[in-house]
Amino acid sequence: MGIASGNISYLRFFTAALPEGFEEPYCDLLASHKFNEIDPRSELEESVGWVEFGDAFDCNYSPDTLVSNSGHILLRLRIDKLKIPAVSLKAYVDQAARGRAAEAGRDKLTKREKDVLKLEVKNQLRMRSLPRMQLVEVVWNVSTGEVRVASTSKAIATTFVDKFEKTFSVQLNPVTLMTVLSLRGMSEADVTALSLVEEEHFHLVRHG
Amino acid sequence: MAGEMRGTFLGREFLTWLWFESERSGGTVNSEQFGAVRVDFGQRLSLQSTSGAREGSTVKAEAPGETEEARSALRTGKQVTTARLFVATADREFWLSIDADTFTFSGVKLPSVLGGKDDNKVDERLLLLDELEGVVDELYMIFIKLRADPQAWPDIREGIHQWVLAQPTA
Repeated sequence: MGIASGNISYLRFFTAALPEGFEEPYCDLLASHKFNEIDPRSELEESVGWVEFGDAFDCNYSPDTLVSNSGHILLRLRIDKLKIPAVSLKAYVDQAARGRAAEAGRDKLTKREKDVLKLEVKNQLRMRSLPRMQLVEVVWNVSTGEVRVASTSKAIATTFVDKFEKTFSVQLNPVTLMTVLSLRGMSEADVTALSLVEEEHFHLVRHG
Repeated sequence: MAGEMRGTFLGREFLTWLWFESERSGGTVNSEQFGAVRVDFGQRLSLQSTSGAREGSTVKAEAPGETEEARSALRTGKQVTTARLFVATADREFWLSIDADTFTFSGVKLPSVLGGKDDNKVDERLLLLDELEGVVDELYMIFIKLRADPQAWPDIREGIHQWVLAQPTA
């Protein structure tokens, strides 16, 4: 579901005009910020990076094909999270602690022993777990500078804006009820004049 | 930031005006770029009080704009916060939900596309999205120009006021 197929829910942003000859440097920037798998042996809980629009496991953009026939750069932002839920971790640690204490002929482990065990169990669970993967479609119109992100989640929007701005060193501005006016050709003076407009209460008789 | 707060009420007024305008003109709004645009309020309509109370109403019906519940909400001072719209130009039909406060589009249903290869299909859908945004943005621009026009707005405002107080005809 999204830009490629199905119903679409999305946020709109815009950037300044793209520089001349952006294709090659942008491919390099995408490669520098491509998605990297989380190593379950590490402590990393989240990884965010770019993948190809049609392949969640690759990020090989070429200057010749970076821009689609309709004049868009098509990207997907991959967000992986490998985090053991606290409830699961506690249950597995308690179970292991009971076994370890029984082996030692004791009722329970010391706090220090349990802390060490918790790390062991967490690492074991990470090795057995698959990261939770989110793929967010992103399309960037190279003529207008409009960027569409196929999500309305504030958390995803924050992650996306951060990654996009870091990757391309450009500022992303949201399309809002006010900014869309300038984008659609209204003069700054007319947009500013709107600040004098008072809120209407249509059910009430207007006075003055 | 203050400007964005102002934008919030303009979005609610826009959707309320659009409801009024589409009902007044038999479901069509004239646009310079796209000609007669059909706009129907369908499936779901949410309204919220403009006072500090922030009381809300959500109406789910085939034509929620025609229900007494929705019209009653208008009479008590509520304005549209989210609307599910059917929008049709001469060539295309779309469905979308608009959030009045953020101007965010969700649940956008595009017309079927012909593209065979996936890349072509995506390109075609992006062109359709361009068209939909063009239509909705133009409707919003029409409203904003009327809203900022001290000659035109008082009569429109009075028309909306009378419409709000009137009983639904359906």
